[in-house]
Amino acid sequence: MTPALELESLTKQYKTQRALDAVSLRIGAGEIFALLGPNGAGKTTLIGAVCGLVKKTSGTVRLFGVDLDVDGVTPRYSVGLVPQEINFDPFFTVRESLRIQQGYFGQRHDDARIDELLAALALTAKADTQTRALSGGMKRRLLIAKALVHRPKLVFLDEPTAGVDVELRRDLWSYVRRLREQGTTVVLTTHYLEEAEELADRVGIIDGGRLLLVEDKAALMRRMGERAWTVRFSAPVRALPDGVAGTLDDDGRALTFIERPGGPSGAEVLRSAYAAQLPVADLALRPAKLEDILVRVLNGQEADR
Amino acid sequence: MNLWGARTLLMKEVRRFLRVPGQTILQPLISTALYFIVFSYTVGAVQREVDGVPYMQFIVPGLVFLGIANNAFLNASSSFFIMKLQGTLVDVLVAPLGPAELLFGFVAGAMVRGLLVGLLTWGVALLFTTAPVAHVFTTLLFLLLSAYVFSVLGLVAAIWAEKFEQINFFPTFLMLPLTFLGGVFYSVASLPEPFRSISALNPVVHMVEGLRAGMLGTSEGSPLGLGLLLGVALTATVVAREMLRRGYRLKS
Repeated sequence: MTPALELESLTKQYKTQRALDAVSLRIGAGEIFALLGPNGAGKTTLIGAVCGLVKKTSGTVRLFGVDLDVDGVTPRYSVGLVPQEINFDPFFTVRESLRIQQGYFGQRHDDARIDELLAALALTAKADTQTRALSGGMKRRLLIAKALVHRPKLVFLDEPTAGVDVELRRDLWSYVRRLREQGTTVVLTTHYLEEAEELADRVGIIDGGRLLLVEDKAALMRRMGERAWTVRFSAPVRALPDGVAGTLDDDGRALTFIERPGGPSGAEVLRSAYAAQLPVADLALRPAKLEDILVRVLNGQEADR
Repeated sequence: MNLWGARTLLMKEVRRFLRVPGQTILQPLISTALYFIVFSYTVGAVQREVDGVPYMQFIVPGLVFLGIANNAFLNASSSFFIMKLQGTLVDVLVAPLGPAELLFGFVAGAMVRGLLVGLLTWGVALLFTTAPVAHVFTTLLFLLLSAYVFSVLGLVAAIWAEKFEQINFFPTFLMLPLTFLGGVFYSVASLPEPFRSISALNPVVHMVEGLRAGMLGTSEGSPLGLGLLLGVALTATVVAREMLRRGYRLKS
């Protein structure tokens, strides 16, 4: 199956800064790909180079198998972008803005599609409101609607939920999942790691213009995820008996254990605590977090995949 | 070719300026009407005829040209530059709109405004004098070419400009002196030397002469004016298209 997006040695050199350094990547049709990295890592430059906002220095970009150096226009009919910066045209209403966007993509007015998006993004009541009268969160949602109104097959969401409240963010996540079910490919950048954890099928980590890691999210979480177990005791424990892994806190009332791939499991530690007749009273488990993995990869640990 | 996309951009541009008619139509119309009234009743009172035409009638083509040139330029430059500032230019850069579609949308939209103001200026003039059209084809040709040329120049200025100040550079330092010294309110033929010869270097003189020839039928026409307009139109089109194709000052 032709990938939705293929990058080969994509490089962008500004005067003194290499924003993208020979980035190669394939994103399959119908997947949600989260591109993660710190500010200035190259995420937005990468998206810009694909969407026609940044002039690449070298390398190849293929959208749906079409090299953009050969045909830079046709593949764009199937691409949508939610830019990081909020923009709006103050001369038009929400509905007019969406109709204009449909038109740019060669489509006649399709109010049914517009209504569907307005409902999904909780903007129905604002359909005939001038865009300048929208709140920041509403403007952000309008950007999402504009990116989707022409039914693109590949959507770039560059920080799509910045400034959007929690409830609506979760609604958006549901909508993104629906998009994937319909076969849409989604490339997502976000500073909410929880968002990437929730949505992504695969994760790419970029820093300094270099793609440090690309991996299936579930496999990455299994490979690098660390779960923290905290076992609380009903009475102070002076020292941990032999065979019980972990760290005892200063007052002897809690045992902390970090479960790492290849090491003993939390369940084994718990069993050993019971076997040693420690006064186990309670258990807290902090699941593996993508955020921790991102920090470790950015610090140079266990990348190169 | 994304014809529907180009049409959408054109319609958007027209709707944009129609949303603020006081600023985009009425204000320029009042300015040119004031020019007409003041010059007609001051200069016209002294010099009743120019080239055998009543002064009031003589200045109509120049004022129509002025309305077209200023408004076509302003529409293209301000609309495009504001899109750059607001970030909404992203919408058209990401869309399947090539240089030809972008050029068409912005330029045609600006031409509509320029021609609308020109037409209304002519309408205002009809309240005061008769303003017949002697040669319809020549008149239309000059009207359309003038609107086109200044629309494309406005687009080029907006692509090039990085600050508002730069947008105003062209109308303030180039268009204003060239139009006021371009024979809009007087006949260049009546100037003494060396001013007559110097004026011949001003392209606006020939553009105004061409339109005047078309509307008033005072001369055989202005092949030089036509040639200049065509030359500027072609050059500006090539420059604008290339800027859009390369993403000059539009893409990082």
